Amino acid sequence: MITLPRYGLITGAIALLLLPFLPLLIWSVAQSWFFPQVLPDQWTMIHWRQIFSPSSRIGEGLLQSLAIALVTTSLSLVVGLPAGRALGTLDFPGKMALKLFLLMPIIVSPLATLMGIQYVLIRLGLSGTVLGVILVHLMPTIPYMTLVLSSVFANLDLGYELQARSLGGSPWQVLWTVTLPLIAPGVVVGSLFAFLISWNEFLLTFIIGGGRVFTLPMVLFTLLQGGNHGLVAAVAITSVIPGLVFLVFASRALQQDHALGGLGNV
Amino acid sequence: MDYLVVEHLTKQFQGHVAVHDLWLTMAQGEVLALLGPSGCGKSTTLQLVAGLLHPDAGAIYLEGRPMNHVPPERRDMALVLQRGLLFPHLTVGENVAFGLKMRGMNRVDRDKEAIAMLHRVQLQGFEHRRPSELSGGQAQRVALARSLVIGPKLLLLDEPLSALDANLREEMQDLILSLQAQTQVTMLIVTHDQAEATVMAQRIALMFDGQLRQVDAPERLYRYPCDEATARFMGGVNFFTVQAEQHQWHLPSGQHLTSSLAHQGPLRVTLRPEALRLYTDAAHLPDVPGNCLQGEAIANRFTGTQRRITVAIAPNLTLQVWGSPTQDIALGQSVWVYIPADALWGLPGEPCPPVAMPSPAVQS
Repeated sequence: MITLPRYGLITGAIALLLLPFLPLLIWSVAQSWFFPQVLPDQWTMIHWRQIFSPSSRIGEGLLQSLAIALVTTSLSLVVGLPAGRALGTLDFPGKMALKLFLLMPIIVSPLATLMGIQYVLIRLGLSGTVLGVILVHLMPTIPYMTLVLSSVFANLDLGYELQARSLGGSPWQVLWTVTLPLIAPGVVVGSLFAFLISWNEFLLTFIIGGGRVFTLPMVLFTLLQGGNHGLVAAVAITSVIPGLVFLVFASRALQQDHALGGLGNV
Repeated sequence: MDYLVVEHLTKQFQGHVAVHDLWLTMAQGEVLALLGPSGCGKSTTLQLVAGLLHPDAGAIYLEGRPMNHVPPERRDMALVLQRGLLFPHLTVGENVAFGLKMRGMNRVDRDKEAIAMLHRVQLQGFEHRRPSELSGGQAQRVALARSLVIGPKLLLLDEPLSALDANLREEMQDLILSLQAQTQVTMLIVTHDQAEATVMAQRIALMFDGQLRQVDAPERLYRYPCDEATARFMGGVNFFTVQAEQHQWHLPSGQHLTSSLAHQGPLRVTLRPEALRLYTDAAHLPDVPGNCLQGEAIANRFTGTQRRITVAIAPNLTLQVWGSPTQDIALGQSVWVYIPADALWGLPGEPCPPVAMPSPAVQS
């Protein structure tokens, strides 16, 4: 069988990726686990129960992270779709400079800019609010989204849109029935990036949120200081789940055979 | 009243004039080919008519209604492009039904119409396939069906068959023409292929450098081109200058030709290569009024359907004769070229009036 080595390779790669999670998984269900024990001698579900108990604030952090990541992703799409289209399909002077400018928030460390941003947000009364946190999350997500979508639009044959117009589609009909389905793979990839960046963001949330916006990375950070290995492990595993769910969902969307339009050099 | 009227149409791209002061009319049910070399502005003209581009100047009227400010989706014109551009995320059936869906027709009715239309382009049973499963010819049939199903007032075809191989192209030409005959749809075809334009169109509008050069029936464009560029584009190969004295046209070599046309003074002359005949024996020359020039065969090309023989008549005069493929002539052989008196055409040398049928500048 020719496919066997390939399957072996894929299985190996998955094993390599999942192996580091194994100790986490064991930690999360261990009462106590000390060197030189190979496996813990007592098992417990207390850490997992704690995650779902209202008193731990972990559930709250989870929901807040989810809400912030989803809103950040949506807003990045609202900005990234028209901006990516302009960058991908139009030719205008200063295009390269604009692309470089877009990369600035990624190139320049947020450490350098955070104090200034914090100052502005305090004056606007947005420091320590969910809205303020969403705004700073947009700093890294909008460039990623725009750059991903610009290369998707650069690979899109705009003839499809003209064709659809000539067949009687209004601009909005064409957007919904032709353009968005054709660029769906790029939208999924861009959204995945934006969601994960926001979901995992610690520093920006920590400074701008000022401890009042309590996302999952904040929870994890607090717990790490507390030293409860079992609970940290359980929360860490929980924090990986949305990314995995999104990835599975995305890979299914990308595998559909009509996913043309291409991802280009994403 | 003219069905489609294009007046003074002008379009520039960053200082480059793509279409310059173009005037054109079409009758309802007519098939007109916009012919010209690539980059001559014919596709731009088509996109201006379709409303995908906005003219810098000029106006377009369909059934007397000004179209300039009508968006493309409300012009009732359907476009078929060379690339086919079937929507890859839709099935063949959904592609054909697309225009009906945009018009708000319900699913049952539009599926029924799409299937009926696929039947007419000989693709029955293809409605559930994906565009990626189709051959080039099948894809163009679907594109054609998708455009025809909405019953457009004007069908615009931009090099629809250029991507297909030669045999398939002829088959598709027949299919398009038979569909046109059934639906009586008014059709504007853009092509760079004079043979295709000739086969498909009732009139050809020849375009060079953004300007119309001659608008005429294919046969007239072949026989009575307005200038040398037009003649060359239509496959003309024989050109020479004569000094005309009424019906007697004198060649620089001293020989003279008798033409059915009368003219006075210097004249640029063209001869269709297929109108000439070649004789190897002076005794067999036809006994009709005409002209015979003796020369030497210097080239012999076999095209499969024709033999193209070049004959050197005088130091500065060679004539190409397109004859029967069975008439083989050895190089260096002495031959007689027979030129019928009505085959000689004097080029007026200036663009013919674009909208009206051009009258020959040289009258007999």
